[in-house]
Amino acid sequence: MNTQTPAAHTVALTKAYGAGETAVRALDGIDVAFERGRFTAVMGPSGSGKSTLMHCMAGLDAPSAGQTYIGERELGQLDDSELTELRRDQIGFVFQAFNLVPTLSAGENITLPLNLAGRSVDREWFDYLVGALRIADRLSHRPSELSGGQQQRTACARALMSRPELLFADEPTGNLDSNASAEVLEFLRRSVDEHRQSIVMVTHDPRAAAHADRVVFLADGRVVGELASPTADSVLEQMRKLGS
Amino acid sequence: MPGVAFAYGSVGGYAQFVDHAGNAIGNARSAEGFSFDPNPNLSAVHIVAGHAPVGPHQVLMDLGTAHKHHFATGQQVRVLLPGKPETFTISGLVKFGSADNLAGISLAAFSLPVAQQLFNSREYYDTINVLAKHGVDNVALQRAIARVLPPGVQVVSGQEIASEYSNAISSALSFITTALLIFAFIALFVGAFTIFNTFSITVGQRTRELALLRVVGASRRQVFRSVLAEAAVTGLVASLIGIGLGVLAALGLKALLGAFGITLPSSPLVFEARTPIVALVVGVGVTVVAAIAPARRAVKIPPVAALVAQLEDQRDSLRRRIGLGSGVGIVGLICLLVGLTEPSIGLVGLGTLALFVATAMLMPIVARPAAGVLGRPLAALRGMPGRLGRENSMRSPRRTAQTASALMVGMALVSTIAVLGSSLGRSATSEVNRAVAADYLVTSGSVSREVAPTIAKLPGVETVSTVYEGQFDFKGSLSSLHAISPVHLSRTLTLQLTAGTAAPALAAEELLIDSETASSNALHVGSVVPVDFAQTGPTQMRIGGIYMQNPLVGSFVISDKLFVSHFDNPLPVADLVRTTTGATGVDRELNRALAPYANLTIQSRSQFEQKSQSQVNQLLGLIYVLLALAIVIALIGIVNTLMLSVFERTREIGLLRAVGMKRRQVKSMIRSEAVIIALLGAVVGIVIGTGLGVALSWSLRNNGVTVISVPLGSLILFLVLAALLGLAAANWPARRAANLDVLAAIATE
Ligand SMILES: Nc1ncnc2c1ncn2[C@@H]1O[C@H](COP(=O)(O)OP(=O)(O)OP(=O)(O)O)[C@@H](O)[C@H]1O
Ligand SMILES: [Mg+2]
Repeated sequence: MNTQTPAAHTVALTKAYGAGETAVRALDGIDVAFERGRFTAVMGPSGSGKSTLMHCMAGLDAPSAGQTYIGERELGQLDDSELTELRRDQIGFVFQAFNLVPTLSAGENITLPLNLAGRSVDREWFDYLVGALRIADRLSHRPSELSGGQQQRTACARALMSRPELLFADEPTGNLDSNASAEVLEFLRRSVDEHRQSIVMVTHDPRAAAHADRVVFLADGRVVGELASPTADSVLEQMRKLGS
Repeated sequence: MPGVAFAYGSVGGYAQFVDHAGNAIGNARSAEGFSFDPNPNLSAVHIVAGHAPVGPHQVLMDLGTAHKHHFATGQQVRVLLPGKPETFTISGLVKFGSADNLAGISLAAFSLPVAQQLFNSREYYDTINVLAKHGVDNVALQRAIARVLPPGVQVVSGQEIASEYSNAISSALSFITTALLIFAFIALFVGAFTIFNTFSITVGQRTRELALLRVVGASRRQVFRSVLAEAAVTGLVASLIGIGLGVLAALGLKALLGAFGITLPSSPLVFEARTPIVALVVGVGVTVVAAIAPARRAVKIPPVAALVAQLEDQRDSLRRRIGLGSGVGIVGLICLLVGLTEPSIGLVGLGTLALFVATAMLMPIVARPAAGVLGRPLAALRGMPGRLGRENSMRSPRRTAQTASALMVGMALVSTIAVLGSSLGRSATSEVNRAVAADYLVTSGSVSREVAPTIAKLPGVETVSTVYEGQFDFKGSLSSLHAISPVHLSRTLTLQLTAGTAAPALAAEELLIDSETASSNALHVGSVVPVDFAQTGPTQMRIGGIYMQNPLVGSFVISDKLFVSHFDNPLPVADLVRTTTGATGVDRELNRALAPYANLTIQSRSQFEQKSQSQVNQLLGLIYVLLALAIVIALIGIVNTLMLSVFERTREIGLLRAVGMKRRQVKSMIRSEAVIIALLGAVVGIVIGTGLGVALSWSLRNNGVTVISVPLGSLILFLVLAALLGLAAANWPARRAANLDVLAAIATE
């Protein structure tokens, strides 16, 4: 695969809700690229369009104008079934909450996308993931029997099980305390370092953003800034600058 | 006589038209021949085309028959008669009042002398129609006429005849009304399950909302009332729609009867005020009653439920449920057993009802493991979606059980009927062998008197017995009576005697009764019983023999000679033919010799057996069609539950779609759940229904159901059908789930 192409990128991506005078431009001509094997954080005030960007890039939502690419594939060209397959095979998801199917055990949740695709499970990879995420002894439990941190770690394992091109995480640590957050973030960092996993993560927390290689700042549906090799302090400083 | 303006004698009897293709029209019982009365004031029919019949070869035909079978004035028509069939020319067409014919009965009117000759009453009239002079008191005239006539002749006024007819018709209709009301009741019962289930689910889904009402100060009573009020409004709207559809159905039915050639007198549909009132009260009542339990559950929601995340399906005490359910079940079983041995239809119905309620109460307990077992093959077959469907059917056992319960009731009734029908059919077949010694049966509503002598002359025929059927009053109740000649009796009919004799007793003008009648009336050989014949009046008869149940001749048998002396020119209903041993080709001979008698059915013994089986099957078919209504309601219940579940699981379905579940797989998941629910209802229903059917068949063991047969093939077919219907019911919810907007689903909190 061409290592020059980013894992995902957008061209003049625009998303408007409503029409006419009252139209809200959630995304307003965004050009952004997320490189392979890198951990990118997306930050910005509430309502700045972070989740919308994520949804459009993951093929969950259709843009009003512009294009989004996963690798070299333009999502606008794909029908519903192809988009579903793309999500299933090439994209991983971790949401803020409700990541797991309540009727399936943790283990079954992890292999769900593979099962839906009818693909066989790579046992070694599975064992590695549940080991690294410290949920090996919780695999037969239902989500309702897991703690919030365990649920989010299970979701991470589910998202990475199919070795996706790209992992999208929308505030994955939003509902977790600092210890549980750190565990999830450290795992994400490790999967980038050890397995060249590409990750895009939305967060409000500068300390979470500090785990990333690069931070992209959004405001009012536009990219308003960037920061490479962030630390919690440099992120805070940048946020203060943008806020003023 | 003074006061009489006009008097005209008339005679009537069997006269059945033969259509252009050579087939008898209608059946013997609905084929009336009579003498045409030229006075329009006395005649029930009036000519609308052509002229009155003149001479021995003319006949009038009713307009309904003429239209349906394409006859016109001047055409030739063959008519089957008590004697040899004859050909007539249609001199004209008649209407009966405003209708083309009388409720499907075909009418053949002849001139009086022809009718007298055809119906074998040359010297007398059946009926004399009398028209009173204007201003004469009918009652007085009636008495005056009665005085001059010999005893045994009835003098009735036109009004009395009219009310007698309408009584006869309404008593025939009341059976149909009762049957339809039973099915309506079943439909309501099944509907109540669905209503109960729906309200249970919606109350569950609105837990938070109801709790919030309690937080802001609504009292328990107000919450209770709000749920019941919603039920009442729902019931009201549904009842109004139902009444509207009912009127449309009645109009449609009338048109349908018309299409079958049964024109009812053209009175408009009767829409009594009582009908909508009863429908509204019953509809609203059932809905509100079904919503009481869910409303009570709503009342129990604590205000704190508004604040905590998600209350799990609150389980009320398992022990209470088991206790109550088993209690109701035991009471039901006792009712059923007592009802079956008594026998009392009311108790059987009540017991069955209680049994259904008990099963519905106990089903949530077994629903989880049962759904798991039923869903296992599905999960293996359909992969992950099947697996998820199975899990979904197990996650709320109460919901699954309640949804399945409605189908359970329908399937149980269908299975009961299947077992009962199969037992009846098999019993009838085995009975025929034990009842009939003849090789051929020639049957019809009215067999011409000429038939038996014709058959007797055929080569290969050893003997022919003629069977008559009529009604007489036995110890105060109207009963069916058969008659057969004692000569060669054992060659054609098999009577298994438990006491007395058969042929000698018949020859001595004694009565034979079956063992069931003997035991229920405490009669034995030598008992003398009062009987009453319509034509000849009351008399006493000695019981000469008691025989085991015989489906061909029923409960009472006398000799043919005695029968003919008590009935007016009776026509046989069957001729039993015994062939000489080794005779071949008798059926060909029979068919050739009897070709002119288009109304006759000529059957070998094995054909007769099949016929009795197929008659049972026809009845079964009719009952299945009516029970299908209950199944349809149960399916609507499945649709309803799945729709509510899809709505409830929007977030989850969104997640599944986000991580890569295809629309096709979403549909498959919902369908799997539906099939599991349907199978659960079907399996439990079929088991219960089979039990009920066996019990019913067993209780009829003294009424001719000698074989208990469980039609495994049919039951398996029902199971497959239930699964397919479940699949069909899932169609709409599955489409809804598959078309959910993924993003909106994810955004739903
Ligand atoms: N379905 C919708 N209809 C109308 N407007 C919408 C819809 N979804 C989002 N918006 C608007 O689009 C804008 C961007 O929303 P988005 O959810 O992307 O913000 P966000 O950056 O993720 O915010 P937060 O940090 O609060 O999650 C907001 O102004 C929001 O009101
Ligand atoms: Mg957001």
